[in-house]
Amino acid sequence: MMWISGGFVFRRGTSAYHKLDPRVKLLISLLMFVATLLVKAVYEMAVVIAFMVAVAAVATVLKRVLRTMAFTALFSAFIFGVNMLATRNLFSSTLYATRFVAIVVSTSLFFITTSPDELEQVMKTFRFPRDIVFAFVTAVRFIPVMMLDTIQIMDAQKSRGLELEKGNILRRVRNMIPILIPLVVNSVVRSGELAEAMESRAYGAVPRPTSLVAYRAGGRDVAVAAAAVLVFALTAYSFYYILPLHLP
Amino acid sequence: MTEILKIDGLSFKYPDSPRKAVSDFDLEIPEGEIVALAGPSGCGKSTLLRTVNGLIPHMYSGDYSGDVLVAGTSVKGSSMRDLAQNVGFLFQNPENQIFMFSVERDVAFGLENLGVPRAEMRKRVDEAIDLLGISSLAQRAPHELSDGQKQRVALAGVLAMRPRLVILDEPMSLLDPKTASELVELVEKLRKELGTTFVVVEHRLDLLVKHADRLVVMSSGRKVIEGSPREVLFGDEAESYGVSVPAVTKVQRMLADDGAVPRDRLMSPPELATAVRGALR
Ligand SMILES: Nc1ncnc2c1ncn2[C@@H]1O[C@H](COP(=O)(O)OP(=O)(O)OP(=O)(O)O)[C@@H](O)[C@H]1O
Ligand SMILES: [Mg+2]
Repeated sequence: MMWISGGFVFRRGTSAYHKLDPRVKLLISLLMFVATLLVKAVYEMAVVIAFMVAVAAVATVLKRVLRTMAFTALFSAFIFGVNMLATRNLFSSTLYATRFVAIVVSTSLFFITTSPDELEQVMKTFRFPRDIVFAFVTAVRFIPVMMLDTIQIMDAQKSRGLELEKGNILRRVRNMIPILIPLVVNSVVRSGELAEAMESRAYGAVPRPTSLVAYRAGGRDVAVAAAAVLVFALTAYSFYYILPLHLP
Repeated sequence: MTEILKIDGLSFKYPDSPRKAVSDFDLEIPEGEIVALAGPSGCGKSTLLRTVNGLIPHMYSGDYSGDVLVAGTSVKGSSMRDLAQNVGFLFQNPENQIFMFSVERDVAFGLENLGVPRAEMRKRVDEAIDLLGISSLAQRAPHELSDGQKQRVALAGVLAMRPRLVILDEPMSLLDPKTASELVELVEKLRKELGTTFVVVEHRLDLLVKHADRLVVMSSGRKVIEGSPREVLFGDEAESYGVSVPAVTKVQRMLADDGAVPRDRLMSPPELATAVRGALR
């Protein structure tokens, strides 16, 4: 749970990277993602990960990203183990294991630097239907509320003598029921109230709602996007043609 | 004067309920009034409010008879879209009426839905935010706000749509006494400056009676008392319907029975104290 919130939940930041147009941040993350799929050697993966670390440093989220890396490394260890057993190839196993880390990090970089408002903007750019965009926005909006609800319900049930951490797996799962039921009831009540409030504020009144804020990609955004594509192309080119070092 | 709200022989029964939640209800409210609506829990206050902004019958099915007119137009025959522009609804729980991730965006929500052009929207959003004194919160996320602040944000979102009639369903239940009295003063200010009409469901009458023009008491879906706060609170019936008469009014009533203080108006605690001091001398 905690590593998900650390690795994927946006926190406000003031770095130049945070201020980029969200579509440019998406592009950068996508390029890094694609790069992790293209590389065929461990040293190339090292280069790609170095890029990610550099981006994280610029975005002043290095600590969070390193922590995410450490957590995902635990899963990679498992991937590495399975691969070793199956292929007995140290290099390809390392590649698979690090690729997993790299994929998580490239995705995480986008989510931790992009506010929900910006995500909404990205979804609108790609012409997602209004209902889906709105459902997404409210879902994100209510994550902290639901987390607080859960904590309160857990405290309430614990104070009535519910012991969450006792017993075998089956017993522990059963212990979750007194927490899940009030949580579900809360959510149902909440969604009813939300629907009433939406109607009262003219949700769906016109087919094309307007937007208070306009996101327009500025010259700097375009320059950064162009630079990102260029760096990606040059790196790919050098991996394939200039430096096919035939290193592992 | 023109009626902004006219309820005419209204009855409503929820489908799965044995009795009517609102029954044979009549009410006429002139534009620019502040109306307090009180009554025991479950007497149908929220149901009545839903019939005013059209949630009933547009969102809730059930047995509906009689009519509700907002600014002369029948709610039954209006769309939610048109109603949303005339009637603002502040629900009891502010948490569940804030949708967007920043205060400013949320205040704009209704205007975005109506397709208001950006420049106009900007103006109205800033106005509403100023009016409620929440400019310093404009960029905050909802989970970074206190309950009182959320209440203000939700009200700003309602006011940005410039409704002529605003409905507040127990707006003070989550507020501390100071914030609650600030809210009441704000309501009075909006009524004065914009001529907005308010219908406020509230148990804490002590704060509201100062500015309310009319007090309506409901019981089991019916209107049982209606009058100026003074008439209703000095009468004998109100308490039998569970209306909490403010302590200062009770004292004034007792003293007035002895002829020690006047009973032609409701007195605030300082006024009553002054009157008592005068009588003692
Ligand atoms: N959605 C619903 N479906 C069925 N019955 C309902 C519904 N909402 C309210 N009722 C019933 O209608 C009656 C009036 O409820 P309403 O919520 O209007 O009362 P209220 O005066 O607002 O009470 P409170 O002061 O507790 O908010 C109650 O008996 C209630 O159980
Ligand atoms: Mg109610």
